[in-house]
Amino acid sequence: MLTLDPANHYSISSTSVLRHVYDPLLDVTNDDRFVPALAESWKALNNTTWRFTLRKGVRFHDGTPFTADSVLFTLKRVRDNTKLIKSFVYQDIDDVRKDDDFTVTVTTKRPFGSLPARLTMLGMLPPAAGAHEEAFFTKPVGTGPFRFLSWTHGDHVELEANARYWRPSIPKVDKLTVRFIPELSTRAAALRAGEIHVIDRVWPDMVATLKATAGIKVLDTPAVEAQRWHFQLAREAGKDPRVRKAVSLAIDRNTIIKELLLGYARPVVSPIPPGLIGHTTLGQKPYDPDRARAILKQAGFQNLTLDFVLMKDLYPKQLEIAQAVAAMLGDVGIKVNIRNLEIATAREQRTAGNYDLFYSGWAHMPHDPDWYFGQWFTRAGAEKMTRFNDPRVEQLIAEGRVPDPKVRQQKYEEIQKILWEDEPEIWPYYSVAIYAISDRLRNFEARRDYYVLLHEVGIA
Amino acid sequence: MRAYLLRRLWQSAVTLVGVSILVFVILRVVPGDPAKMLLPEGAPPSAVEELNRHLGLREPLWVQYEIFLRSVVRGDFGQSFQYRAPALRVVIERVPATIALAVAAMALTVVVGVSLGVLTAVRQGTPWDYGGTVLAVLGQSLPNFWLGIMLVLLFGVTLRWLPTSGFGGWASLVLPSVTLAAFPTALVARLTRASLLEILGQEYIRTGRAKGLGERRVVLRHALRNATIPLLTVLGLQIGTLLGGAVITESIFAWPGMGKLVVDAIFFRDFPVVQTILILSATIFVVINLLVDLLYTVLDPRIRYG
Repeated sequence: MLTLDPANHYSISSTSVLRHVYDPLLDVTNDDRFVPALAESWKALNNTTWRFTLRKGVRFHDGTPFTADSVLFTLKRVRDNTKLIKSFVYQDIDDVRKDDDFTVTVTTKRPFGSLPARLTMLGMLPPAAGAHEEAFFTKPVGTGPFRFLSWTHGDHVELEANARYWRPSIPKVDKLTVRFIPELSTRAAALRAGEIHVIDRVWPDMVATLKATAGIKVLDTPAVEAQRWHFQLAREAGKDPRVRKAVSLAIDRNTIIKELLLGYARPVVSPIPPGLIGHTTLGQKPYDPDRARAILKQAGFQNLTLDFVLMKDLYPKQLEIAQAVAAMLGDVGIKVNIRNLEIATAREQRTAGNYDLFYSGWAHMPHDPDWYFGQWFTRAGAEKMTRFNDPRVEQLIAEGRVPDPKVRQQKYEEIQKILWEDEPEIWPYYSVAIYAISDRLRNFEARRDYYVLLHEVGIA
Repeated sequence: MRAYLLRRLWQSAVTLVGVSILVFVILRVVPGDPAKMLLPEGAPPSAVEELNRHLGLREPLWVQYEIFLRSVVRGDFGQSFQYRAPALRVVIERVPATIALAVAAMALTVVVGVSLGVLTAVRQGTPWDYGGTVLAVLGQSLPNFWLGIMLVLLFGVTLRWLPTSGFGGWASLVLPSVTLAAFPTALVARLTRASLLEILGQEYIRTGRAKGLGERRVVLRHALRNATIPLLTVLGLQIGTLLGGAVITESIFAWPGMGKLVVDAIFFRDFPVVQTILILSATIFVVINLLVDLLYTVLDPRIRYG
């Protein structure tokens, strides 16, 4: 938890707090449907124009009404103030116009089919926030189900129910305290001691202990995240499609899922995880070390060494998994050099191109893959990352940016067919999000996007 | 004495400027890009560049240092990159929890450590001595994180006597301070025992006993007082460690202290916060060292500085 400004962070824990204080225009359900929040409806008038009809009768916690002015202020602020962490997400917005108090038209610089998805990540602010931003964000008001009470940095945030919330009979509890406990063992201990009701980011090896405790339930759900280990496509090894193919064939994904992640992961059947627009079924990548050896021999690669770079402690079990992969690749004659680096250093090494394979995951945070494709599979995005460059893919990504979901689905399927064949990345598994809760909790939903949202949660 | 004091103050100022330059340069020379750490992995390079410019990181190093020095003189340590708030405020907010934990751990260290040391020294060779020595060895060799988690599981989960974590009230202070104090307590106990034993063998102690002083008076008034001098040096250094080096304890107990803050700040390349903490703690270190040196003269009249 770093800030109370919904446009100025990119953190899951901050979102889990701030989504209770601010509402976005649109919300996304756990089954990936975009549903009305502060916008009652929205429509693409053409490829670059969107109209939003706003909800009437909504008030901020200080009593001021929510109107088109709030939308104008919030969207223009995030686009224009490039100091804000989320500013880059909304750069394609060209203009935001007020048609009347409850209708807003947004025009975009180019087709922006993922605009509704991206708007789920932005809490609406009262225009008055602009006058004294620093003061406003020490005691912020939103339209959300809870009002902000206090924040003890590094320890906890306190929120209280907003009795006039626009959704009837929500929230179900009077007070919400969010505590920040970085260490998983302590989080689990606090839950087992009955001090708290929900914990997030449980690792697979903690599940058994939690399940064995009376009064605790463990919930899991396939996340919107696919693990993806990307090749440096300009280095000797990654440049050669035969090497990439051999590496892919040599990795026994099912063993990783079963033995190391204890089943808390799903086999990949296309780069985009199920539920999101573009998901399709391309089959599972085979495990065939013999063929891998044959390909390497035929291509004349003897004594190949790969630098496998990890961002230290970022993903559950990553070091064990990388060691298993090193053994699997060793089995077909590829030597793997695991470099477990502090995150900032690892990312610098990637920019410099000093890696062959990079351990990473991609959570499709606004439940939309446009961002993933735009970042990793366009020349501009990938230039200092993977060095990916394929004009066919780039063209399809541009064509897939239109608002029409049918067109998008078709373009994304085409993109993924190319990627599946070409294998610029290894997709080892889809991640699973694990939570543990007190069994007195009612209506808790284990979210696919790792957010903890307690709008509808009550205590028995 | 006055000349000595002035010289020491001048040296301290030079040390602090040196520290600030070192911290400033090291942070900017090690690999890692603050804007990249603030933005998610998928942020376009143009956004990274833009943010770095906003953070003032595209100026030449000496210009950045000059701006920094000018602001520090005005009491402004810059804006935290991560928290988007004045770095000094971010750091100062962590002071109460940091001090509370350090003071509690220090008190435990002194009271338990010295008592244990005295006990094992005067009962040398008895089961008391062996028991105390075992405790001291355990305290020094048990890893902090293991001890902390075991204490949480025992007193927080199983017995439910104390809160598992967090900062609020006396009860929440117990487990973290015990965890943090384990190592220095053991250190102090062993040190006290060793120096007390050495002193108890000295001539003047025999003289004291010979002139009929009670054992209690001999040990506590005459021996312990002299044994305190090496202890003071160690305790002075331990205060610094307790203030800044409680990272693991703070992580385990979700304690909002400075140790965790500085490690995260280094991790995320939040330069202003790292600078603020390191310069403040260097200042504290320097001041405490100065005070300890001056205390020697009070405790031992033979030590005089000219």
